[in-house]
Amino acid sequence: MFNFLSLIFRYIFIMMIYLFIFGIMRMIYLDISSMKAIIGNHPYLKLINRKDQLPFKVKEVYVLDKETTIGRKNGNEIVIKDPYISNDHVKFYVKEEGVFIEDIDSANGTCLNEERIIDMVMLRNGDRIKIGQVEFLYVDY
Amino acid sequence: MDTTAKRIVKVLILFCILLGSLVLYLSYFEIFVVAKIQDNPYNKRQWMREEYVLRGSILDRNEKVLASSIKQDKQQIRNYPFKNLYSHVIGYSFKEYGKTAIEKNYNNQLLGIGNSPLTKVKDKIMGSDNMGNNVVLTIDHTLQKNADELLRGKKGSIVLMNPKTGEIYAMVSKPDFDPNTMRDDWQDIIENKESPLINRATTGLYTPGSVFKMITATSVMENNSNQNYFCEGKTNIGGYVLKDYHSIAHGNVDLEKALIYSCNVAFSQMGIELGEEKLKSTAQKYMFDKQIPFDIMSKKSIFSEEVKMTKTELGVSAIGQGKVLVTPLNMAMVASTIANDGNMMKPFLVKEIINSKNRIIKMQPPKILSHVTNKENANKLRDIMIQVVEVGTGKKAKIKNVRVAGKTGTAENGSDKEHAWFIGFAPANDPKVAIAVVLENEGKTGGTSAAPIAREILKNALNRVQ
Amino acid sequence: MMKKFLMNKMPQTLLVFVNILSMFLLYFYKERFDKSILISVILLVATIYISNYILLKISSGDHYLFLVVSMLSSIGIIMIYRLNPVYGFRQIIWFGVGIVFYFIFYFCVKRIKGWKKWLNGYFIISMILFVVTQVLGTKIKGATNWIRIGGIGIQPSEIIKIIFVFYLASYYTNYTKKANEKYKFLGVVYSYIAFLFIQRDLGTAMIFCFVFFIILYIYEEDRKLIYYQIIGGLIIGIVSSFLIHHVQVRFIAWFNPWEYIEKEGYQITQSLFAIGAGGFFGTGIGLGHPEFIPEVHTDFIFSAICEEMGIFGGIAVIMLFLILVYRGFKIALNQYDKFFKIVAIGITTTLGFQAFIIVGGVIKMIPLTGVTLPFVSYGGSSLVASFAALGILQVASEEIQMEQEEGDGYNS
Repeated sequence: MFNFLSLIFRYIFIMMIYLFIFGIMRMIYLDISSMKAIIGNHPYLKLINRKDQLPFKVKEVYVLDKETTIGRKNGNEIVIKDPYISNDHVKFYVKEEGVFIEDIDSANGTCLNEERIIDMVMLRNGDRIKIGQVEFLYVDY
Repeated sequence: MDTTAKRIVKVLILFCILLGSLVLYLSYFEIFVVAKIQDNPYNKRQWMREEYVLRGSILDRNEKVLASSIKQDKQQIRNYPFKNLYSHVIGYSFKEYGKTAIEKNYNNQLLGIGNSPLTKVKDKIMGSDNMGNNVVLTIDHTLQKNADELLRGKKGSIVLMNPKTGEIYAMVSKPDFDPNTMRDDWQDIIENKESPLINRATTGLYTPGSVFKMITATSVMENNSNQNYFCEGKTNIGGYVLKDYHSIAHGNVDLEKALIYSCNVAFSQMGIELGEEKLKSTAQKYMFDKQIPFDIMSKKSIFSEEVKMTKTELGVSAIGQGKVLVTPLNMAMVASTIANDGNMMKPFLVKEIINSKNRIIKMQPPKILSHVTNKENANKLRDIMIQVVEVGTGKKAKIKNVRVAGKTGTAENGSDKEHAWFIGFAPANDPKVAIAVVLENEGKTGGTSAAPIAREILKNALNRVQ
Repeated sequence: MMKKFLMNKMPQTLLVFVNILSMFLLYFYKERFDKSILISVILLVATIYISNYILLKISSGDHYLFLVVSMLSSIGIIMIYRLNPVYGFRQIIWFGVGIVFYFIFYFCVKRIKGWKKWLNGYFIISMILFVVTQVLGTKIKGATNWIRIGGIGIQPSEIIKIIFVFYLASYYTNYTKKANEKYKFLGVVYSYIAFLFIQRDLGTAMIFCFVFFIILYIYEEDRKLIYYQIIGGLIIGIVSSFLIHHVQVRFIAWFNPWEYIEKEGYQITQSLFAIGAGGFFGTGIGLGHPEFIPEVHTDFIFSAICEEMGIFGGIAVIMLFLILVYRGFKIALNQYDKFFKIVAIGITTTLGFQAFIIVGGVIKMIPLTGVTLPFVSYGGSSLVASFAALGILQVASEEIQMEQEEGDGYNS
């Protein structure tokens, strides 16, 4: 009986261990493919929330171009289907002096380091930006 | 990326290489190395298997049991009912001393290792009540016993085979030993000066003497070389005087006469006229200097080493003296080749392998090993060999109502006692059995000592083999 | 949604399945009814599942590491249980203790500030540990690296490994370009390695050297120094292989174990027989004979895995370590805090290299040095220390909080 079980189980074991490895690798791959965006010395936003806790698609990393908008509506540079995010929510400007953030009249507003922003604000490395349920870390290099 | 990050990535790559090399080495090891190390005596796993698999039996061609195992309170005992008789064919199997012969080369089959994966899985599920396979030999127990009796008290070897298929009917090598009592006798056996552990039939290298003339004769026919010589009873080759037996002058001889009277002078001249290349090429067709594929360990017969022969050496080699060395098995195959229209068959000892439920798992079909010469030449040589027995040196091999073809040999060697040889086959017109007999340091001629032994065995064999 | 849930939860689910199935299998092993196996399986699965759950709640850092390591430990426990149920049960207890230490280290390292400042502290503690080992140590397998406290054997070198990494990290974080400081640093590093040599713990000495070289390679600004160190290390290695007997023996056993099969080469050849017997899929758990290898449950656990789970099982273990190493370096890359960046590199290198030398050793790719296979081999010290290291690595993977808190720390 034991012999029989053992012989069958050896294949099941190996299969499961490899499936496990595959599962981990898949998760890592998804992680990397979202990281790939970082090229050169662009400033970028990094997701703070755990990705699998959000019920909508969001990437780990978004690179900021000269002008980047975030919103729920297709057509924005960054589209996030969070119900708490407005159609056109927030806009980033990359200028010589630095990177600026501006809330474009969103319903729920934008928080920078737990404070709601009103005007155009210059970002500093390590700032936390909260848009709807999503929270990003601003990285400046 | 800054330099630190770059360096970290490089270290990561280094780790990938290190761990990747482990995977590669492991795969390489499994595919290429494992087979070489697994049967190391220190690997206890093979003995584990031997403990729970009942080692298969070894049977003769009529399924007489020649070796079998029985289980006795968790231990296995290997039993060889015919004691010394098969010490060289079957060999032995002991943890302490290892394995030899069939026990060694067919170990996996006897243990049932390497059966199809399906049966393996089935075996494992069924658990430990495991039976190995049985090995059926081509040996005929009656003939083996007969050959053994005829060689009793002597040193030497007899190989009896079927010239048309290559099956070995009997293979005796003396002295021998009893594998049943090896544990007690081990010290005596290894210290014995007569080396009873050596299987003379396949690994004993003897000077062939005149039986080698069959090879020289084949070469002469193959190459249409000169067949007529004048014999004065002795000849001087490059300063070395070569004599005939009792220095008898044979006068004008052709190939037939030279063979019948075993004329050394004529044959050494034939050899010189042929040249080393041609003689060597024929010898190699007869599997000299080549490994004969066989079911148990065998040695190469030696015609020449790589160095070029002198004229003397060539002349001496042509009559089977000098550095030429042969195994009895090879000489039985030479006789078989002439009996089988010039085709040499691959010799074999194992007829088939059957499992514990008597189903045949594997059969060994006959195979041609070498095309030595054509039918015409083979028949001519056969006719001469008939004459050798009728009127020549092999008269003592004559059997009533059956034509025997043969060739005798009396080989000088390092000691003052010659080896006595006889090779031949019968019945000459439709050969059923071929034989090689060698009596080591017998001190008598092949015609007087080896031929009568061959006669007895051939006679018995023809009664048993249809 | 359902599919996504399954995919994201798949590794955990598989982990639980592997454990339950294997324990179910071992339940039948040798047909003895053993209640402890039921307790064990419940204990093990619960520990892994709950820890993983807690980790997801409290740590925003890496969450692959713990899964990978749980899988490695599970494979180890299955194998050890099969070899010896008593050891197997103990290993499960050690696994639990390891996880406790994992969380203790996680919280301590996270909460306590100023790790980077205690350069001399690390040095002093490790030297005390060395001396204590030297004085109180018992000799096992020719190496004096065990001390016995109340019936439990402890291997201080396992703890020193972590302290050594902290020492290196602390040095390079507070690095100034004073020459005498550097000589002191090199002196300290070599005194670590010398101590290990004296205690004949060659494997750990090799790991220390390697970690040192890697950190040196990444952070040392005087690039020439690195080459000197590596060349010097190689020369010492080669010279000692000729002069020092216990190093020589290992080289002999590596180079041609078949010639010395009855003595020096015995262990390694038994290991090779075991790996060979397994083939690609293994003999099946409980159907091989890994018990023929001496020390099979510690140093040679990999050979046992290869025999009963096959080469594929062995390769899976190597791949799990590869993932572990990959994640470790990924953490180092993402970490802004220099101290924790170096700590992450150091810990990852230690674990990865240790796995490499013992796996390479038992398959005769490199000379055999007796170290444990991290997370897999039997042994309390090794398992607990590895989990502690993993806890620290987990802290290092949490970039944001560290940075914030560090920033606060500086302001006040």
